[in-house]
Amino acid sequence: MGDQRDIVLIGSDAGGTMTDMLVVDKAGEFIVGKASTTPRDQSIGFANSMIDAAEYWGMDWQKEAKNYLPGIAGIIYSGTSMLNTLLTRTGKKIGIILTKGFEDSLIHERGIGVHASYGYQDKIHPVSHIHNEPFVPKKLIRGVTERISMFGEAVVPLYQGEVREAVADLLDRGVEGIAVLFLWSYLNPQHEMMAAAIAREIMKERSQEVPLYLSCEIVPITRENSRLNALVLQAYGAEPAREQLFGIERMLHQDGYKHPLQVALADGGIANIRYPALFKACFSGPVGGILGAKYLSQEMDMPNLLCTDMGGTSFDLGLIMGGECSILREIELARTVLNIPTLVMDSIGAGCGMYLSIDPESKRVDIGPDSAGADPGPVCYMMGNETPTVMDCVLILGILNPDYYLGGKVEVDWDAAYKAIKEKCADPLGIDPYDFAEGVLDLINVRMREHIGTVLSVRGYSPADYYVIGYGGAGPTFLAGYTAGLPFKGVFTVPWAAAFSAFGCAAADYLHRYQKSTLVALPPGSDDGMKQFMAMTVSASWAELEEIAAREMEEEGFKREEISFKQVAYVRYSQQLEDVEVISPLPRLVTAQDMDKLIEAFEETYSRKYVHAAMFPEVGYQIFEIGLLATVSRPKPLLRKYPLEGKTPPGEAEKGTRQVYFGGEWRKANLYEMDLLRSGNEVEGLAVIEAPSTTMFVPLGKKVIVDEYKRCWLKEV
Amino acid sequence: MSKISYSKEVIRDLIEGKLPWSQTKSIISGYKDEDRFDKYVEVLQEKVAWQEKILLPLTHELYIVQKGSDRIVKCSCGQEFGDYRVNWKLNALIHVRESEEEVKELYPYPSAPDAEFCEIREFYCPGCGTQLWVETVPFGYPLVFDFLPDLDTFYAEWLKRPLPSQKEFTDLTCDFIAQNWAE
Repeated sequence: MGDQRDIVLIGSDAGGTMTDMLVVDKAGEFIVGKASTTPRDQSIGFANSMIDAAEYWGMDWQKEAKNYLPGIAGIIYSGTSMLNTLLTRTGKKIGIILTKGFEDSLIHERGIGVHASYGYQDKIHPVSHIHNEPFVPKKLIRGVTERISMFGEAVVPLYQGEVREAVADLLDRGVEGIAVLFLWSYLNPQHEMMAAAIAREIMKERSQEVPLYLSCEIVPITRENSRLNALVLQAYGAEPAREQLFGIERMLHQDGYKHPLQVALADGGIANIRYPALFKACFSGPVGGILGAKYLSQEMDMPNLLCTDMGGTSFDLGLIMGGECSILREIELARTVLNIPTLVMDSIGAGCGMYLSIDPESKRVDIGPDSAGADPGPVCYMMGNETPTVMDCVLILGILNPDYYLGGKVEVDWDAAYKAIKEKCADPLGIDPYDFAEGVLDLINVRMREHIGTVLSVRGYSPADYYVIGYGGAGPTFLAGYTAGLPFKGVFTVPWAAAFSAFGCAAADYLHRYQKSTLVALPPGSDDGMKQFMAMTVSASWAELEEIAAREMEEEGFKREEISFKQVAYVRYSQQLEDVEVISPLPRLVTAQDMDKLIEAFEETYSRKYVHAAMFPEVGYQIFEIGLLATVSRPKPLLRKYPLEGKTPPGEAEKGTRQVYFGGEWRKANLYEMDLLRSGNEVEGLAVIEAPSTTMFVPLGKKVIVDEYKRCWLKEV
Repeated sequence: MSKISYSKEVIRDLIEGKLPWSQTKSIISGYKDEDRFDKYVEVLQEKVAWQEKILLPLTHELYIVQKGSDRIVKCSCGQEFGDYRVNWKLNALIHVRESEEEVKELYPYPSAPDAEFCEIREFYCPGCGTQLWVETVPFGYPLVFDFLPDLDTFYAEWLKRPLPSQKEFTDLTCDFIAQNWAE
């Protein structure tokens, strides 16, 4: 029997390689677990990761789970099974009914689809571009005659006979679900509803029941192509993923867990796994980190926070401004553009697993664009990869402890890494392998630093207004390098950095985001009558969305009075291509003055997002989309404050010294165990602070100060 | 830096379009294999029945080959088109589609070029009848000389092995017309 702990929350993030687990107790203490992700049956990876975490509190989870699960208030999961379904093309057999003439939409796809997910060099070389094979073959796509106009009027009636034929034919072909998408159905769902009624009738006649997916219910928003992709993702990929999630939930319920399993959504929300638009959960891992940072930003009074996440393949940046993060409405995933609202992230290929190579023509060192991932992994993993990676460089420089990688659970081979770097890279260039390795770290740090500079400067922000948090498995190792020379307000990481996405999932609100297309235009000089009419249009849409939200959340077991709403409008200056998400200052717009208040809020957000001089009120305003955030509060990890102690770390935290190659020579670095550092302690570089799942590197000239929340601040000596 | 090289079988499959896309993509995106040209030519040489050495492929069926001290254009069937510095199209069979009916026979609206404005010229090999090339140009436009390679520079400076006899790098098409068709 281990320590008696009051576990209250479990957050988990199944990435492409590792499943991270963050377990939180009532006192606000955390433990982090890691295990390999098991794509075929994710409940195995989930369980292994949980067992790994529990060991740190001396628990045998397999035996003791029953003692803890009944008392846990929430378990949140974010996983990759849906993405995996897309990549392996193992989804459901789906039939689609579209507006006649648009049957080839999936084949044509967006132009961007031919180079989606490619690196920069491949993007600019059309010879490497290729169309994707659609997830639904053409023989399972039927067009029917109908047309709704862009004003939502039925200009061609629905040819019901054609719907009958299409449904019967698709059923004959053995489809496991039928998706229906008509043009402009988000303005007028009448035809889709009629088609659904006919389909149900036919299924009843034939006693053959398959699920129906209507675009007006699942993705009622503008942008036809990505809307279709999102609908297909829901029908094709989300349902098999849901089965896996039910598997995990069953496992937890058997051991006494009382609540439904929850998933993190790409837009930063959390939903029950029964949520109809589950496709929004297909891209939640990277978002988890931003959610975690948002929570820290709100709880620790850091309104402007730059999130930097460095993992195996990419370096992702997220911006939190005034405690909030922005939303992007389309994402690229599995080479498809999808209509999934997602927290804005700027990513570049710069990860610890990236392959290193030397261009035979120019003798230039290339980093990436591909990553060795966890399989085969870096050379030092000894799993068959012979091409050196960034991590191999970190290892031979002495920064990583070969005997304590992932807490000593994964064996790494220093000699193999050295040999590969020497033979493949350093010898051909005629330089010392250690100089080469240090040079690689400099290169990748410069790449990340420039990315940070670009992301901030194109938006007109100054680093001086921002705090920076570094997380992800490799974040703390490179944090000092990629923030060097930028005048941030403060730079820090946290002991649970390696499972920060899982932490973010545990810290997120139970939130659903609803969207609906609309047509609201306020030409310059609109009079009060016009404004009032438009105000009422917006309010009517909000009322409609609140109705849907309340119904869905009641089905998930919440009471209506527990739900709080935030009304959102996507406002733009007339004819501009981009709009801005504006949280309405009023729950309903009734008068012309209410409309003015919304516009005021828009201009405030707009001038914060761009600059004041970019405002352009002379052209009037348009709103093509409105939204609703429906939130129910849920328990969150407590951020525990510790009393400040002396500057000198306790003896138990000291782990001796190691030679580290820094600045062109071998130097002695002091070693510390991160979890044993106390609040108030200071560690001066050259030092390495080790945790089971990450390593923080403190270069010469820098020091780390541990504050009362155990944040590790990186400062100049 | 290790030398990048693919086996002759891989290059053969690449030429014949038999490689899976993932492999083709990784070849396209990777560093250029140093011996690609030689292996490529070897594979092509094995596909033709004649003995003259291929200096450079021109199209799917046409090659510039070394014949004695001359460099001529030769079809895979053996048909010869003369000096490589003369537009080979002069020695091909030409079928011109110039009326709307002739154009529409192959290209449905709206993919068809405007028959009021231009014509479609199809070039066939007199030896085997294979269609070698198609061009669409305004009426009266001279035959397009698509590709006149600077072979001596290519061999000397890129492959680092100069060809035995130098040839002046110049377009001889007009001379050929003057000599043969001036009447």
